[in-house]
Amino acid sequence: MNIPLSLFFLLCVGVGAARRTPLYDAFADGAKEGLQTAKRILPPLIAMLCAIRAFSASGLTDALSAFLAPALQGARIPKETLPLMLLRPLSGSASLAMLKEILHTYGPDSRIGLVASVMMGSSETVFYTCCVYLGAAGVRRSRHTIPCALLAWLAGSIAAGLLTPGW
Amino acid sequence: MLNVLFGLMLGAALLYGLLRGRADAVTGAVLQGAGDAVKSALDMAGMFALFCGMGEILTRAGAAQWLGKKLRPALRLLLGPAMPGDALEYAAMNLTANLLGLGNAATPMGVEAARRMARGMDEASNALCMFLVINASSVQLLPTTVLSLRAAEGSSNPGAVILPAIAATGISTLVGVLSCKLMEKRA
Repeated sequence: MNIPLSLFFLLCVGVGAARRTPLYDAFADGAKEGLQTAKRILPPLIAMLCAIRAFSASGLTDALSAFLAPALQGARIPKETLPLMLLRPLSGSASLAMLKEILHTYGPDSRIGLVASVMMGSSETVFYTCCVYLGAAGVRRSRHTIPCALLAWLAGSIAAGLLTPGW
Repeated sequence: MLNVLFGLMLGAALLYGLLRGRADAVTGAVLQGAGDAVKSALDMAGMFALFCGMGEILTRAGAAQWLGKKLRPALRLLLGPAMPGDALEYAAMNLTANLLGLGNAATPMGVEAARRMARGMDEASNALCMFLVINASSVQLLPTTVLSLRAAEGSSNPGAVILPAIAATGISTLVGVLSCKLMEKRA
Protein backbone atom coordinates (compact mmCIF):
# COMPACT_ATOMS: atom_id res chain seq x y z
CA MET A 1 0.00 0.00 0.00
CA ASN A 2 2.64 2.49 1.03
CA ILE A 3 5.10 2.08 -1.82
CA PRO A 4 2.62 2.62 -4.68
CA LEU A 5 1.18 5.49 -2.71
CA SER A 6 4.51 7.22 -2.18
CA LEU A 7 5.29 6.71 -5.86
CA PHE A 8 1.95 8.35 -6.68
CA PHE A 9 2.74 11.39 -4.53
CA LEU A 10 6.22 11.58 -6.02
CA LEU A 11 4.70 11.47 -9.49
CA CYS A 12 2.32 14.34 -8.66
CA VAL A 13 5.06 16.57 -7.25
CA GLY A 14 7.57 15.54 -9.92
CA VAL A 15 5.27 16.11 -12.88
CA GLY A 16 4.00 19.36 -11.35
CA ALA A 17 7.51 20.67 -10.81
CA ALA A 18 8.68 19.60 -14.27
CA ARG A 19 5.79 21.47 -15.88
CA ARG A 20 6.37 24.52 -13.64
CA THR A 21 2.98 24.24 -11.95
CA PRO A 22 2.51 26.39 -8.82
CA LEU A 23 2.44 23.33 -6.54
CA TYR A 24 1.17 24.90 -3.34
CA ASP A 25 -1.55 26.99 -4.98
CA ALA A 26 -2.81 24.09 -7.06
CA PHE A 27 -2.86 21.79 -4.04
CA ALA A 28 -4.76 24.31 -1.90
CA ASP A 29 -7.36 24.86 -4.63
CA GLY A 30 -7.85 21.14 -5.09
CA ALA A 31 -8.06 20.55 -1.32
CA LYS A 32 -10.80 23.16 -1.08
CA GLU A 33 -12.85 21.31 -3.65
CA GLY A 34 -12.19 18.02 -1.86
CA LEU A 35 -13.53 19.37 1.42
CA GLN A 36 -16.73 20.53 -0.24
CA THR A 37 -17.16 17.06 -1.70
CA ALA A 38 -16.75 15.50 1.75
CA LYS A 39 -19.44 17.81 3.08
CA ARG A 40 -21.82 16.81 0.29
CA ILE A 41 -21.55 13.07 0.91
CA LEU A 42 -22.06 13.16 4.68
CA PRO A 43 -25.91 13.03 4.80
CA PRO A 44 -26.25 10.00 2.48
CA LEU A 45 -23.40 8.32 4.32
CA ILE A 46 -25.15 8.67 7.68
CA ALA A 47 -28.35 7.18 6.27
CA MET A 48 -26.58 4.21 4.74
CA LEU A 49 -24.38 3.41 7.71
CA CYS A 50 -27.37 3.43 10.10
CA ALA A 51 -29.27 0.98 7.89
CA ILE A 52 -26.26 -1.31 7.44
CA ARG A 53 -25.40 -1.42 11.14
CA ALA A 54 -29.02 -2.09 12.10
CA PHE A 55 -29.18 -4.90 9.55
CA SER A 56 -26.21 -6.81 10.96
CA ALA A 57 -27.07 -6.09 14.61
CA SER A 58 -30.57 -7.54 14.18
CA GLY A 59 -29.05 -10.88 13.19
CA LEU A 60 -30.47 -10.73 9.66
CA THR A 61 -27.01 -11.09 8.11
CA ASP A 62 -26.48 -14.38 9.98
CA ALA A 63 -30.01 -15.59 9.22
CA LEU A 64 -29.52 -14.87 5.53
CA SER A 65 -26.24 -16.76 5.35
CA ALA A 66 -27.78 -19.82 7.07
CA PHE A 67 -30.63 -19.65 4.56
CA LEU A 68 -28.37 -19.31 1.50
CA ALA A 69 -25.70 -21.87 2.40
CA PRO A 70 -27.18 -24.83 0.47
CA ALA A 71 -27.97 -22.70 -2.60
CA LEU A 72 -24.34 -21.72 -3.06
CA GLN A 73 -22.80 -25.15 -2.65
CA GLY A 74 -22.94 -25.52 -6.43
CA ALA A 75 -20.52 -22.61 -6.80
CA ARG A 76 -18.15 -24.32 -4.31
CA ILE A 77 -18.46 -21.37 -1.93
CA PRO A 78 -17.79 -22.56 1.63
CA LYS A 79 -20.52 -21.54 4.07
CA GLU A 80 -17.90 -19.98 6.36
CA THR A 81 -17.31 -17.27 3.74
CA LEU A 82 -21.00 -16.43 3.29
CA PRO A 83 -21.10 -13.65 5.92
CA LEU A 84 -18.17 -12.04 4.10
CA MET A 85 -19.90 -12.42 0.74
CA LEU A 86 -23.05 -10.77 2.08
CA LEU A 87 -21.18 -8.00 3.85
CA ARG A 88 -18.94 -7.23 0.86
CA PRO A 89 -21.44 -5.01 -1.03
CA LEU A 90 -22.66 -3.37 2.20
CA SER A 91 -19.60 -2.17 4.04
CA GLY A 92 -15.90 -2.04 3.22
CA SER A 93 -14.66 -1.82 6.79
CA ALA A 94 -17.07 -4.49 8.06
CA SER A 95 -16.11 -6.92 5.30
CA LEU A 96 -12.42 -6.24 5.90
CA ALA A 97 -12.93 -7.03 9.59
CA MET A 98 -14.79 -10.19 8.58
CA LEU A 99 -11.97 -11.24 6.23
CA LYS A 100 -9.46 -10.74 9.02
CA GLU A 101 -11.56 -12.92 11.30
CA ILE A 102 -11.89 -15.68 8.67
CA LEU A 103 -8.14 -15.65 7.95
CA HIS A 104 -7.42 -15.77 11.66
CA THR A 105 -9.86 -18.62 12.40
CA TYR A 106 -9.28 -20.89 9.40
CA GLY A 107 -5.78 -19.81 8.34
CA PRO A 108 -4.86 -17.67 5.31
CA ASP A 109 -3.65 -20.68 3.28
CA SER A 110 -6.71 -22.88 3.86
CA ARG A 111 -9.27 -23.11 1.06
CA ILE A 112 -11.71 -21.06 3.14
CA GLY A 113 -9.04 -18.38 3.61
CA LEU A 114 -8.18 -18.37 -0.10
CA VAL A 115 -11.80 -18.10 -1.26
CA ALA A 116 -12.39 -15.31 1.25
CA SER A 117 -9.31 -13.39 0.03
CA VAL A 118 -10.33 -13.66 -3.63
CA MET A 119 -13.91 -12.72 -2.76
CA MET A 120 -12.75 -9.59 -0.98
CA GLY A 121 -10.80 -8.47 -4.04
CA SER A 122 -13.45 -9.41 -6.60
CA SER A 123 -15.90 -6.61 -5.84
CA GLU A 124 -16.18 -3.19 -4.30
CA THR A 125 -18.55 -1.95 -1.62
CA VAL A 126 -21.49 -1.67 -4.04
CA PHE A 127 -23.97 0.26 -1.90
CA TYR A 128 -21.36 2.54 -0.39
CA THR A 129 -19.77 3.36 -3.75
CA CYS A 130 -23.11 4.01 -5.42
CA CYS A 131 -24.33 6.01 -2.41
CA VAL A 132 -21.25 8.25 -2.31
CA TYR A 133 -21.13 8.86 -6.07
CA LEU A 134 -24.86 9.38 -6.52
CA GLY A 135 -25.02 11.60 -3.44
CA ALA A 136 -22.16 13.78 -4.65
CA ALA A 137 -23.66 13.98 -8.13
CA GLY A 138 -27.07 14.90 -6.71
CA VAL A 139 -28.76 12.07 -8.61
CA ARG A 140 -31.85 10.54 -7.02
CA ARG A 141 -32.98 7.97 -9.56
CA SER A 142 -30.16 5.52 -10.16
CA ARG A 143 -32.10 3.31 -12.63
CA HIS A 144 -30.36 -0.01 -13.30
CA THR A 145 -27.13 0.86 -11.46
CA ILE A 146 -27.65 -1.18 -8.30
CA PRO A 147 -29.17 -4.30 -9.93
CA CYS A 148 -26.30 -4.47 -12.44
CA ALA A 149 -23.69 -3.82 -9.74
CA LEU A 150 -25.19 -6.58 -7.59
CA LEU A 151 -25.14 -8.96 -10.56
CA ALA A 152 -21.44 -8.17 -10.97
CA TRP A 153 -20.87 -8.83 -7.25
CA LEU A 154 -22.67 -12.18 -7.52
CA ALA A 155 -20.60 -13.16 -10.56
CA GLY A 156 -17.40 -12.18 -8.74
CA SER A 157 -18.32 -14.21 -5.65
CA ILE A 158 -19.20 -17.30 -7.70
CA ALA A 159 -15.96 -16.89 -9.64
CA ALA A 160 -14.07 -16.76 -6.32
CA GLY A 161 -15.58 -20.12 -5.37
CA LEU A 162 -15.04 -21.77 -8.74
CA LEU A 163 -11.53 -20.42 -9.40
CA THR A 164 -10.08 -21.48 -6.06
CA PRO A 165 -8.79 -25.06 -6.35
CA GLY A 166 -9.58 -27.82 -3.87
CA TRP A 167 -12.81 -28.30 -1.97
CA MET B 1 -34.06 2.51 -5.60
CA LEU B 2 -32.11 3.87 -2.65
CA ASN B 3 -35.39 4.93 -1.04
CA VAL B 4 -36.73 1.38 -1.22
CA LEU B 5 -33.47 -0.15 -0.08
CA PHE B 6 -33.11 2.19 2.89
CA GLY B 7 -36.67 1.49 4.00
CA LEU B 8 -36.36 -2.26 3.52
CA MET B 9 -33.07 -2.61 5.37
CA LEU B 10 -34.03 -0.42 8.30
CA GLY B 11 -37.59 -1.74 8.52
CA ALA B 12 -36.56 -5.40 8.31
CA ALA B 13 -33.76 -4.88 10.84
CA LEU B 14 -36.00 -3.14 13.38
CA LEU B 15 -38.80 -5.67 12.98
CA TYR B 16 -36.52 -8.70 13.13
CA GLY B 17 -34.66 -7.17 16.08
CA LEU B 18 -37.94 -6.75 17.96
CA LEU B 19 -39.05 -10.31 17.21
CA ARG B 20 -35.70 -11.73 18.25
CA GLY B 21 -35.43 -9.61 21.39
CA ARG B 22 -32.50 -7.69 19.97
CA ALA B 23 -34.26 -4.32 19.82
CA ASP B 24 -31.64 -2.76 22.10
CA ALA B 25 -28.74 -3.93 19.96
CA VAL B 26 -30.42 -2.70 16.78
CA THR B 27 -31.19 0.72 18.21
CA GLY B 28 -27.64 0.96 19.53
CA ALA B 29 -26.30 0.05 16.10
CA VAL B 30 -28.37 2.79 14.43
CA LEU B 31 -27.07 5.40 16.87
CA GLN B 32 -23.52 4.16 16.52
CA GLY B 33 -23.84 4.11 12.73
CA ALA B 34 -24.76 7.79 12.66
CA GLY B 35 -21.81 8.69 14.87
CA ASP B 36 -19.38 6.52 12.94
CA ALA B 37 -20.54 8.03 9.63
CA VAL B 38 -19.49 11.48 10.84
CA LYS B 39 -16.18 10.14 12.13
CA SER B 40 -15.39 8.35 8.90
CA ALA B 41 -16.48 11.38 6.88
CA LEU B 42 -14.05 13.50 8.90
CA ASP B 43 -11.25 11.02 8.18
CA MET B 44 -12.30 11.01 4.56
CA ALA B 45 -12.45 14.80 4.39
CA GLY B 46 -8.70 14.87 4.95
CA MET B 47 -8.18 12.16 2.33
CA PHE B 48 -10.46 13.93 -0.13
CA ALA B 49 -8.60 17.20 0.35
CA LEU B 50 -5.22 15.49 0.02
CA PHE B 51 -6.00 13.57 -3.15
CA CYS B 52 -8.01 16.34 -4.77
CA GLY B 53 -5.04 18.62 -4.05
CA MET B 54 -2.64 16.16 -5.68
CA GLY B 55 -5.08 15.65 -8.53
CA GLU B 56 -5.27 19.40 -9.09
CA ILE B 57 -1.47 19.56 -9.38
CA LEU B 58 -1.58 16.81 -11.99
CA THR B 59 -4.48 18.44 -13.79
CA ARG B 60 -2.74 21.83 -13.99
CA ALA B 61 0.47 20.15 -15.11
CA GLY B 62 -1.46 18.65 -18.02
CA ALA B 63 -1.02 15.03 -16.89
CA ALA B 64 -4.76 14.49 -16.68
CA GLN B 65 -5.21 15.37 -20.33
CA TRP B 66 -2.41 13.00 -21.24
CA LEU B 67 -3.86 10.13 -19.19
CA GLY B 68 -7.36 10.90 -20.39
CA LYS B 69 -6.20 10.66 -23.97
CA LYS B 70 -4.67 7.23 -23.34
CA LEU B 71 -7.77 5.75 -21.74
CA ARG B 72 -10.22 7.83 -23.74
CA PRO B 73 -10.99 5.41 -26.60
CA ALA B 74 -11.87 2.55 -24.24
CA LEU B 75 -13.85 4.77 -21.91
CA ARG B 76 -15.73 6.48 -24.71
CA LEU B 77 -16.72 3.08 -26.03
CA LEU B 78 -18.13 2.15 -22.61
CA LEU B 79 -19.63 5.46 -21.57
CA GLY B 80 -21.00 6.64 -24.90
CA PRO B 81 -20.06 9.48 -27.26
CA ALA B 82 -21.97 12.24 -25.45
CA MET B 83 -19.46 12.46 -22.60
CA PRO B 84 -18.14 15.92 -21.68
CA GLY B 85 -14.33 16.09 -21.87
CA ASP B 86 -13.67 17.06 -18.26
CA ALA B 87 -15.84 14.23 -16.93
CA LEU B 88 -13.98 11.78 -19.16
CA GLU B 89 -10.66 12.97 -17.81
CA TYR B 90 -11.69 12.49 -14.21
CA ALA B 91 -13.18 9.10 -15.07
CA ALA B 92 -9.86 8.13 -16.67
CA MET B 93 -7.92 9.19 -13.55
CA ASN B 94 -10.39 7.33 -11.35
CA LEU B 95 -9.95 4.18 -13.42
CA THR B 96 -6.16 4.43 -13.30
CA ALA B 97 -6.17 4.83 -9.52
CA ASN B 98 -8.56 1.89 -9.19
CA LEU B 99 -6.41 -0.34 -11.37
CA LEU B 100 -3.43 0.39 -9.13
CA GLY B 101 -5.38 -0.26 -5.95
CA LEU B 102 -5.27 3.35 -4.77
CA GLY B 103 -8.81 3.36 -3.45
CA ASN B 104 -8.33 6.57 -1.49
CA ALA B 105 -7.20 8.39 -4.59
CA ALA B 106 -9.85 6.87 -6.80
CA THR B 107 -12.90 7.98 -4.83
CA PRO B 108 -12.48 11.79 -4.99
CA MET B 109 -11.72 11.60 -8.71
CA GLY B 110 -14.66 9.27 -9.31
CA VAL B 111 -16.95 11.58 -7.37
CA GLU B 112 -15.76 14.49 -9.49
CA ALA B 113 -16.39 12.50 -12.67
CA ALA B 114 -19.88 11.49 -11.51
CA ARG B 115 -20.73 15.09 -10.61
CA ARG B 116 -19.70 16.33 -14.03
CA MET B 117 -21.54 13.50 -15.79
CA ALA B 118 -24.77 14.21 -13.91
CA ARG B 119 -24.73 17.99 -14.54
CA GLY B 120 -27.47 18.55 -11.99
CA MET B 121 -29.84 16.05 -13.54
CA ASP B 122 -32.10 14.07 -11.23
CA GLU B 123 -31.87 10.80 -13.15
CA ALA B 124 -28.68 8.88 -13.86
CA SER B 125 -27.71 8.76 -17.54
CA ASN B 126 -26.60 5.53 -19.24
CA ALA B 127 -23.01 6.73 -18.94
CA LEU B 128 -23.29 7.41 -15.21
CA CYS B 129 -24.87 3.99 -14.60
CA MET B 130 -22.06 2.31 -16.52
CA PHE B 131 -19.40 4.32 -14.68
CA LEU B 132 -20.88 3.42 -11.29
CA VAL B 133 -21.16 -0.27 -12.16
CA ILE B 134 -17.52 -0.37 -13.30
CA ASN B 135 -16.49 1.28 -10.03
CA ALA B 136 -18.69 -0.96 -7.89
CA SER B 137 -17.45 -4.14 -9.54
CA SER B 138 -13.81 -3.25 -8.83
CA VAL B 139 -11.10 -3.28 -11.49
CA GLN B 140 -8.21 -3.66 -9.07
CA LEU B 141 -5.10 -5.42 -10.38
CA LEU B 142 -3.23 -5.49 -7.06
CA PRO B 143 -5.44 -6.18 -4.01
CA THR B 144 -3.04 -4.42 -1.65
CA THR B 145 -5.26 -4.50 1.45
CA VAL B 146 -5.99 -8.22 1.10
CA LEU B 147 -2.28 -8.98 0.57
CA SER B 148 -1.20 -7.07 3.65
CA LEU B 149 -3.91 -8.74 5.73
CA ARG B 150 -2.82 -12.20 4.52
CA ALA B 151 0.80 -11.42 5.30
CA ALA B 152 -0.18 -10.18 8.76
CA GLU B 153 -1.99 -13.46 9.44
CA GLY B 154 1.18 -15.41 8.66
CA SER B 155 0.39 -16.75 5.18
CA SER B 156 3.21 -18.75 3.60
CA ASN B 157 2.23 -17.29 0.21
CA PRO B 158 0.24 -14.05 0.48
CA GLY B 159 0.42 -13.48 -3.29
CA ALA B 160 -1.28 -16.80 -4.14
CA VAL B 161 -4.57 -14.96 -4.54
CA ILE B 162 -3.41 -12.29 -7.01
CA LEU B 163 -4.17 -14.19 -10.23
CA PRO B 164 -7.51 -15.68 -9.09
CA ALA B 165 -8.50 -12.25 -7.78
CA ILE B 166 -7.72 -10.58 -11.12
CA ALA B 167 -9.71 -13.27 -12.93
CA ALA B 168 -12.64 -12.98 -10.52
CA THR B 169 -12.74 -9.18 -10.67
CA GLY B 170 -12.45 -9.33 -14.47
CA ILE B 171 -15.45 -11.65 -14.61
CA SER B 172 -17.46 -9.44 -12.26
CA THR B 173 -16.67 -6.29 -14.27
CA LEU B 174 -17.52 -8.05 -17.53
CA VAL B 175 -20.88 -9.22 -16.16
CA GLY B 176 -21.59 -5.71 -14.85
CA VAL B 177 -20.75 -4.03 -18.17
CA LEU B 178 -22.73 -6.53 -20.25
CA SER B 179 -25.80 -6.32 -18.02
CA CYS B 180 -25.60 -2.52 -18.16
CA LYS B 181 -25.49 -2.56 -21.96
CA LEU B 182 -28.46 -4.90 -21.96
CA MET B 183 -30.47 -2.60 -19.72
CA GLU B 184 -29.60 0.40 -21.90
CA LYS B 185 -31.05 -1.33 -24.92
CA ARG B 186 -34.24 -2.20 -23.04
CA ALA B 187 -34.85 1.36 -21.85
